[in-house]
Amino acid sequence: MIDLHIPPVAVMIIGAVIVPFLPRILRSIFTVLIPAATLAVILVVPTGSDPITLRLMDYTLVLSRIDPLSRIFGIIFAFICTIGGFYAYHLSDRWQQTAALLYAGSAIGVTFAGDYFTLFICWEMMAVASTILIWRAAGEESARAGFRYLLFHVFGGGLLFSGIILQVQGSGSFVITSLAGGHSTGSWLILLGVLVNAAVPPLHAWLTDAYPKATITGAVFLSAFTTKTAVYVLARLFPGWPILLVLGVIMTLYGVIYAILANDIRTILAYHIVSQVGFMVAGVGIGTEMAINGATAHAFSHILYTALLFMGAGAVLQATGKRRLTDLGGLYKKLPVVFWLYLIAAFSISGFPLFNGFISKSMTVAAAGEAHHPWAMLLMNLAAVGTFLSVGLKLPYFTWFGKEPHSDEKVEPLPLTMYFGMGLAAAVCVLHGLFPQLLYRLLPFEVHWNPFTRHHLVEAVQMLTITFIIFWTVRWRWLKPKKAVALDVDWLYRRPASFIRRWTVELVDDLFEGVERFGLKSAHWLTEQVKNPYFWRMAKPGRPVEYTPDKYRPASSQLILTLLGLFVLVMILSLLIRG
Amino acid sequence: MKRWHWALLLLLLFISLVVEFFFLSHSQEEGSHWWSSIPAFWILFGAAGSMTLIILAKLILGPVLYQREDDRND
Repeated sequence: MIDLHIPPVAVMIIGAVIVPFLPRILRSIFTVLIPAATLAVILVVPTGSDPITLRLMDYTLVLSRIDPLSRIFGIIFAFICTIGGFYAYHLSDRWQQTAALLYAGSAIGVTFAGDYFTLFICWEMMAVASTILIWRAAGEESARAGFRYLLFHVFGGGLLFSGIILQVQGSGSFVITSLAGGHSTGSWLILLGVLVNAAVPPLHAWLTDAYPKATITGAVFLSAFTTKTAVYVLARLFPGWPILLVLGVIMTLYGVIYAILANDIRTILAYHIVSQVGFMVAGVGIGTEMAINGATAHAFSHILYTALLFMGAGAVLQATGKRRLTDLGGLYKKLPVVFWLYLIAAFSISGFPLFNGFISKSMTVAAAGEAHHPWAMLLMNLAAVGTFLSVGLKLPYFTWFGKEPHSDEKVEPLPLTMYFGMGLAAAVCVLHGLFPQLLYRLLPFEVHWNPFTRHHLVEAVQMLTITFIIFWTVRWRWLKPKKAVALDVDWLYRRPASFIRRWTVELVDDLFEGVERFGLKSAHWLTEQVKNPYFWRMAKPGRPVEYTPDKYRPASSQLILTLLGLFVLVMILSLLIRG
Repeated sequence: MKRWHWALLLLLLFISLVVEFFFLSHSQEEGSHWWSSIPAFWILFGAAGSMTLIILAKLILGPVLYQREDDRND
């Protein structure tokens, strides 16, 4: 191993600064090369090497601190950004390319940050860069969703910042250390701020609202970073906080229930992010070495297969221009490769043996059992059933199969680089599924877990097979997509938004406009009144004076006559004096 | 779905049951929970779980939560 002494975040941020000034071809190449170079830096720098620090006034900032936990998150962030670079290779939008690099770079910055200040700066940079990926989709819908997204993250950032201030005040140090043992106002505020980014209900609506409205390639990056950096920070600061187990289990079920209701394919996937992140949050809440390993492994697997799911959904959207299940169907003959690649991701997220979801999800679920939380184990298994039902069966069936109403409809050809990006993600999903040790050796703690026992295989085969049979039996009766949206907690602030806007913005606007109009009218009236003071002398009660300027203006002839008279007088006087 | 598809699915279930009944010792299962002694538990769990989720989402929550898409564009 080589000690390069370069913070991985620096490679990404410098790249993000350079990229917008490059010509189109080079921009695309750099969006792949920069994260690949960052990945190389992370891989060659040994775990536990000296942290890279920077003096800022009286404080020492720790820009990069590499330990097993930060390293595995850094590896997957850089790797998925490289894959995303291939998927988005055809793009010419320099805003998106720059924002994607900045976003990934900030996520890597959070991961390796050793102090709260660096963490917070990178945290906020992530919020801004990711908002650009939503806004670049153009259209009123994306603009509004992006604004709501940004407001939510400003709120979360505020909570985090308040917590950091209190925490630093209490400890006297900016250095990030585990808060597992201490409950204070500061730690609770930090937790709340992080839970916003982890999309824990009811603080999750920014995700399911905005991700489906992001650009096709932007959604792939969005699916990878924000929630997983939050999981990383939870694992770093709050391992073993019991509330996280409860919240995590709620998330797993909340996400799948809404995914069953959803019609937009990317909304279904967005709800599955909530659900899958729930497994990780629950793992952190359990807090044992096995559970933290499970949460970390699941974050790694989840980033890969969720990116692949969003790539598949994005490919459908790009090829057809349609995003709702009610408008899709019968695409198998037109997009077969996309279907098979999507299916690898669907099998992975559903926990099929020999795919990466199986080797990570089963570890988290088993950790719950091992820590004597059988209820959590059963509920997480229930969520796994729901996951297969919606994202593994409903979405692909009604997109690629179902009835074939659009058989004569043309689909746009997809760039080969999109296929390449998807293929790369799919290959790693299978590789880790077949050889779990490749992933397990990266985990923060030693792994004593074998996913391929008869018990686990029987459990998975029985659950998945019967779920498929039930889906097939009731798919048209009860699972047929409906052209509607399901109200979520965002309704609570979107519904009264117009009233709040009326009272806080429009009413104030009206008031200012009224006062301005009154001021102008008063000024006009006053000007009229003081134009001629003679007016006041002439005006009598009951006899208004019609003012016309000519009436009171001395005629110019009088002036000329006066001047002439004076001239003649002067002439006569001068003649008399000479005479 | 063709007949051989169904046959394949049933065969999978059958094999899993054979393994469960003849090649698994419940005492070896990690944690050994109360459900370990229920035969074909994960088939029952999967069936009950998927039906519960479908009924809860589509038949109970759906009618309450569904809204026309046009009404949402605020």
